[in-house]
Amino acid sequence: MEEPRIGVYVCNCGTNIAKVVDCDAVAEFAAKLPGVVVARSYKYMCSNPGQEMIVQDIEEQSLERVVVAACSPRMHEQTFRRALETAGLNPYLFEMANIREQCSWVHDDGAIATEKAQALVHAAVNRVARHEPLERMSVDMCPNTLVIGGGIAGMTAALELADAGKRVYLVEKQDHLGGNIARVDLTAPYLDSARDILTYLVTRVLEHDNIEVMTESRVERLDGFVGNFKATLGSLANAADGNAAVDVGSVIVCTGYKEFDAARITHYGYGKLPNVITSFELERMLRQGRIETKEGRPPQFVAIVHCVGSRSEEYHSYCSRVCCMTALKYAHEVKSALPKSYVSDVYVDMHAFGKGCEDFYRQSSEVKTLFLMYGRGEHPVIRKADPGDECGMLIEVNELLSGETVEIPADLVILMVGMEPREDVDDVAHLVSISTDKDGWFIESHPKLDPVATTTDGIFIAGACQAPKDIPDTVAQARAAAARILARIARGKLVVDAVYAEVDEDRCSGCRVCNELCPYVAIEYDETKRRSHIISALCKACGACVAACPSGAIKARHFTDEQIFAEIEGVLE
Amino acid sequence: MTFEPKIVGFLCNWCSYTGADLAGTSRIKYRPNVRVIRVMCSARIDPTFVIKALAEGADGVLICGCHPGDCHYTEGNYKTMRRYPLLKRLLADYGIDDERVRLEWVSASEGKRFADIVDDMTERLCELGPSLVKSALATDAVER
Ligand SMILES: Cc1cc2nc3c(=O)[nH]c(=O)nc-3n(C[C@H](O)[C@H](O)[C@H](O)COP(=O)(O)OP(=O)(O)OC[C@H]3O[C@@H](n4cnc5c(N)ncnc54)[C@H](O)[C@@H]3O)c2cc1C
Ligand code: SF4
Ligand code: FES
Repeated sequence: MEEPRIGVYVCNCGTNIAKVVDCDAVAEFAAKLPGVVVARSYKYMCSNPGQEMIVQDIEEQSLERVVVAACSPRMHEQTFRRALETAGLNPYLFEMANIREQCSWVHDDGAIATEKAQALVHAAVNRVARHEPLERMSVDMCPNTLVIGGGIAGMTAALELADAGKRVYLVEKQDHLGGNIARVDLTAPYLDSARDILTYLVTRVLEHDNIEVMTESRVERLDGFVGNFKATLGSLANAADGNAAVDVGSVIVCTGYKEFDAARITHYGYGKLPNVITSFELERMLRQGRIETKEGRPPQFVAIVHCVGSRSEEYHSYCSRVCCMTALKYAHEVKSALPKSYVSDVYVDMHAFGKGCEDFYRQSSEVKTLFLMYGRGEHPVIRKADPGDECGMLIEVNELLSGETVEIPADLVILMVGMEPREDVDDVAHLVSISTDKDGWFIESHPKLDPVATTTDGIFIAGACQAPKDIPDTVAQARAAAARILARIARGKLVVDAVYAEVDEDRCSGCRVCNELCPYVAIEYDETKRRSHIISALCKACGACVAACPSGAIKARHFTDEQIFAEIEGVLE
Repeated sequence: MTFEPKIVGFLCNWCSYTGADLAGTSRIKYRPNVRVIRVMCSARIDPTFVIKALAEGADGVLICGCHPGDCHYTEGNYKTMRRYPLLKRLLADYGIDDERVRLEWVSASEGKRFADIVDDMTERLCELGPSLVKSALATDAVER
């Protein structure tokens, strides 16, 4: 094989890499490898001058392949591929060696880290010599969108898209729109009415010509790929209605959350003590304008308990984010409805991080709420009061600020139940091929750089299904998802990655082992030719069929056996 | 000089490679003996990759994929899980110590776990000593 002309660039990443790895030594080592005609060490490869250096070398030194040893390819592979394209080189004739995340940041010994970096560069040089130019495919982008879930997230996203003139199918499993907000009275921290917000949104959604709302419905199947999905929708109310199929280019999952089941914490007596209720049960009373005990009397002592099911080792380790401010909202609402009542607020830490929230906290102390702090990992204990006591129940709290164990009276106890993923998250995740984290929330593509996309192209997430969220954050995320989709629709065409598997029909024995293996049903069997064939647009390049083919007839483009063997030799030489 | 085992790691792109990157972003230190090769999914790992690595002088091979149920391609790691015991049986037949080849699940949030696995495997391989596969293959070739 004639060695192609290779350029190697070792990034110092300021001092991030150079502090541990001797970058000049790595470049010197690379210069001696077969095919390498230029090897440089440079301060910041991803900067404009760094990229221009690559472009210039490609042009002046007629480079045919490029290796950048720098951060993770998950960080900057696309950046450098673009630089190659600028210089007129096929972007796949590029390889990165990860000497930051997987070398300089995890090792202290400079000599050993330098040796490891050299091995990784060796592997990349070996591999890139065997890269082939690949053509990306261009596909049409269908301008319709499927929105799953008609809560505030789903409705907001649908309106954003519909107002831009695009068609939206909004699928809601319940018989009405609104989601959890439909169960809320006033909203924290400005105390505006949830009903007003909702009425406005629901009316607009229902009246919009571009939005087709399907309540009591679900998505049965999603086939296809970004830009070209086919969704099968079914009715939950009437199976006889049959299924409808719609074409969409993108999907936004807005399935929200459900509340934690308070009965799981036995110390609180929920389900046994009739006047221990959840936040949602209080919301119902507030919406009806009557706060009362089961006996029909206005409570004199009201106690609010935070973090029910949240921030605990036993239940959920995360913070549900909205309960602290909602609890303060209750203190306000109870005090204004029953000015003579005593409100105590039993909390762990007061999380008042949102805009306007810290002020709201201050105002709540002014409405004479008694704040008591208990320790994380502990549970206040709620019990029935003794006959003759002037209250219905007593709550025992190890109060942290005073250091004393106190008993406070209560006629009505409100448990601030946290948020948790809905029962069917796994089904939904499977349906649209996205992942959930350890708690069951859907995983975004990148927590900071890309919080609305997912690792499946064309599938977006918005609202509380991604993590507990308040209304402002939900709305922001929903609009962001819609904007991302609109930008794509505006471009009209989509470029899809050129990495997929293909069958060499001359080597295929027609055994069909691969046919059942493909999770995307991308492999067809041609009865006349007696050969299997891969539909490249459906293939997601996992390579399961490649490893299984007994005839070695399937090639994973950009992850060929030859390329990986070359890499193995490189890391071990 | 003390023996420093060489480990070739095959990591799936979505969970495990990201997990290994996370160890870096979190500055978790671990033994420098692993050299990572990225594949799209653990199901892409052909048994011949493992054999090739041992033949080229690796003292150990680490295969990492997403936790069962979390594979980016839904079920790729179940295929890996089914293939792995077959590979292990084959290696045992050739007298290759069981601990030289390991399959572990590492999620994108388990940087610490990846570091611990590498440390532990390095430790075990130090105890086992160098793999003789490469030199055995060399003598074999000479004798023939
Ligand atoms: C007690 C309480 C009080 C709160 N008060 C406030 C407040 O004062 N201020 C504030 O900012 N936030 C508040 N919140 C938070 C607020 O409820 C959320 O921010 C908001 O509801 C998130 O909206 P969403 O659309 O993401 O989810 P949801 O409201 O949960 O809506 C999801 C929708 O999707 C539907 N759905 C689910 N799965 C499927 C499926 N598989 N197929 C079809 N449809 C499906 C559901 O039926 C639902 O209609 C409160 C929360 C609680 C628990
Ligand atoms: S290319 Fe990566 S490693 Fe180099 S400077 Fe940029 S971020 Fe840092
Ligand atoms: S993508 Fe990680 S095991 Fe399949």
